[in-house]
Amino acid sequence: MKLIALLTILIAIIFVVCLSLGPSSVGFEDVIMLLNGKADNNVKYIIIDYRMPRIITSMLVGVALATAGCSMQALFRNPLADPYILGISSGASVGAAIVIFLGIATTFNIMLSAFIFSLITAFVVYKLGETKIGVPIYTLLLAGVAMASFLSGLTSLLIYLSGKEMHQIVFWIMGGFWAARWEKVWFITFPITFSIAYVFLNAWNLNAILMGEEHALSVGIDVESFKRRIIGVATLLTSSSVAVSGIIGFVGIIIPHAMRLIVGENHKKLIPATILFGAAFMPIVDLISRTITDGEIPVGIITALLGAPFFIYLLRRAKVQ
Amino acid sequence: MILEVKNVRVKLGSIEALKDITFKIEKNEIVALLGPNGSGKSTILRTIFGIIKPYVGAVYLDFKNIEKFDFRQIAKRIGYLPQENPETNLRVIDIVMLGRTPHLNGFKQPSKKDLEIALNALKSVGMNGFKNRKFSELSGGERQKVMIARVFAQQPEILLLDEPTAHLDISSQIEVMELVSKKVNEGLAAIIAIHDINLATSFCNRILMVKDGKIVRAGKPEEVISRSTIKEVFNADVDVKKFGGKIYVVPKMKTRNNKNRLIHVICGGGSGTEIIYKLSEKGYRISAGVLNVLDSDWQAVMDVEGILIDEAPFSPISNEAYEKNIKWIEKSDAVILTNLSVGIGNILNLKAALKAAEEKKMFVINKTPFKERNFVGKEADELYRLILEKSRVFKNEEEVLDELEKIFG
Repeated sequence: MKLIALLTILIAIIFVVCLSLGPSSVGFEDVIMLLNGKADNNVKYIIIDYRMPRIITSMLVGVALATAGCSMQALFRNPLADPYILGISSGASVGAAIVIFLGIATTFNIMLSAFIFSLITAFVVYKLGETKIGVPIYTLLLAGVAMASFLSGLTSLLIYLSGKEMHQIVFWIMGGFWAARWEKVWFITFPITFSIAYVFLNAWNLNAILMGEEHALSVGIDVESFKRRIIGVATLLTSSSVAVSGIIGFVGIIIPHAMRLIVGENHKKLIPATILFGAAFMPIVDLISRTITDGEIPVGIITALLGAPFFIYLLRRAKVQ
Repeated sequence: MILEVKNVRVKLGSIEALKDITFKIEKNEIVALLGPNGSGKSTILRTIFGIIKPYVGAVYLDFKNIEKFDFRQIAKRIGYLPQENPETNLRVIDIVMLGRTPHLNGFKQPSKKDLEIALNALKSVGMNGFKNRKFSELSGGERQKVMIARVFAQQPEILLLDEPTAHLDISSQIEVMELVSKKVNEGLAAIIAIHDINLATSFCNRILMVKDGKIVRAGKPEEVISRSTIKEVFNADVDVKKFGGKIYVVPKMKTRNNKNRLIHVICGGGSGTEIIYKLSEKGYRISAGVLNVLDSDWQAVMDVEGILIDEAPFSPISNEAYEKNIKWIEKSDAVILTNLSVGIGNILNLKAALKAAEEKKMFVINKTPFKERNFVGKEADELYRLILEKSRVFKNEEEVLDELEKIFG
């Protein structure tokens, strides 16, 4: 409980701080001015139409990726599982690349295409993993790996063929929030809040599935149906995130795992902690990405640079155990 | 409560894993599914719980097909404990609380009462001091007790336990079985898949011996456990002993001095059982006859895998069997005539014995006066007298064995 209160306060502070910082000279006093209704239009634009949707998007994406990661880790009973394990990121890349390649790239088109392609990918992977006795986790994993590798090939081909639009695809894949707009926020708010609520309410069953599928069955959970639903919402979470921000790696592994070290494995506590930490973590990383240089570094690069060493640390630790 | 498994056939892939399984269990009963690994014990449990659907037959819980229940309803009434323990860092109390899952509503908010039930379950297995420990930090025995507490917290009517004592040390094995026993005495029923024969015979009311997806023997421990059934089901050589009304098995010692000597035993009606087993333990090869099929001596010879010269049940010895008996007497290194009773049906055995006596290789066990064992009359008296004249005579099995050891040992 203490941790939850602490994280909530932290999120509020982070929200204000992120609102007050950026490459332009608009700062904390401008935020106060805005609240008093005394700010000019330029300041209003920067704070309300630029920084605010960006912060909210980064929070939603942070929450979505962390929660999706957390549920996948429970489902796969492996702390190294991540939201992209079903090939969703590769699917989204193909979706974005196709739109850019065809020269019909608008913010909305890219988002929609990435979203739809990632949903289709997850669905195909799930169907490929299906056997007579249900969907064994390991066949799902293998299907995901195979699909991801196929789709990466496809993305590379599209990049190769797209000539001068190439940098746009590459930039999109690197992931970031620079293109955040209110329309994107509206697009992802419902699927993400719905899915988060679903995972939150199913924390108990995630504990059961953590014991192994046979044990979950033995306490009366219809495992195959539960797996399907969790994979469904995790896909919705991940696809929504990828659609608005490209591929931001490692967040889905680092956050749940860090929380697991602090609050333990019980999902009744782990899920709320993961949600809140996701919301706190992502805007900070984004803040770093947009203030560390004169221009902007894609967030995906920063999370990868932070995440990979953490990933290796996890691997080493697993080996010791 | 009554659980019935009726003519159940199950296919796993293309393999027929269960072939016509039928049995019933009611409360206050512990039934063991006893068989080697891969015999189908786990499949039976998983079919009862409704995880696997039979393609023929069905499982009935209080006369209602189990397929009519959903998993939540089943879990309220049947506590199933899979064989493999989970690998998890969940705390002990979180795991035991999971046993309350089928009783919770959709939002899964456990009440104070649920917590109380879980704590009581933990207490009943003697693990209440461990409630905040991580599961992964416990020993094998402690883990198993926590898992059993989880099943108890479900408050089921039937327990399905898959190898609950596998990988445990002996004191934990006994502890676990006693916990289950106690719970069953309180009005539950338990079906336990197990491969430890002695635990099964000590704690279970009934044993179903499972082999290749079939129940090959069913009944009380003393009815089903014998050298030959264990040889049949486990393909293992054991000795079956009785101790204080309980029956238990010990691995058969490989006889150190495997003598290449054949001893022929003329016996019947149980008079030869003791000497047959003792000879076999000493490493002699055995032939015996003429015995009626299903005679208890016949069973003993089967057990020690001796050579049988046998005759149909309750039939007098035919000339053919007699000739065969003589043939084996000639082949043998020594012949033992046990303290058998003689009637019209087996008088030919005495004639055969006389042949052996004339060959100077007859050892007679003469415990009780022959007239008490003679149901034929003068003819048998005369035969027996002649045999005694030409044989070495002993008062009991031990003496004969000592003598044989002196000659062949």
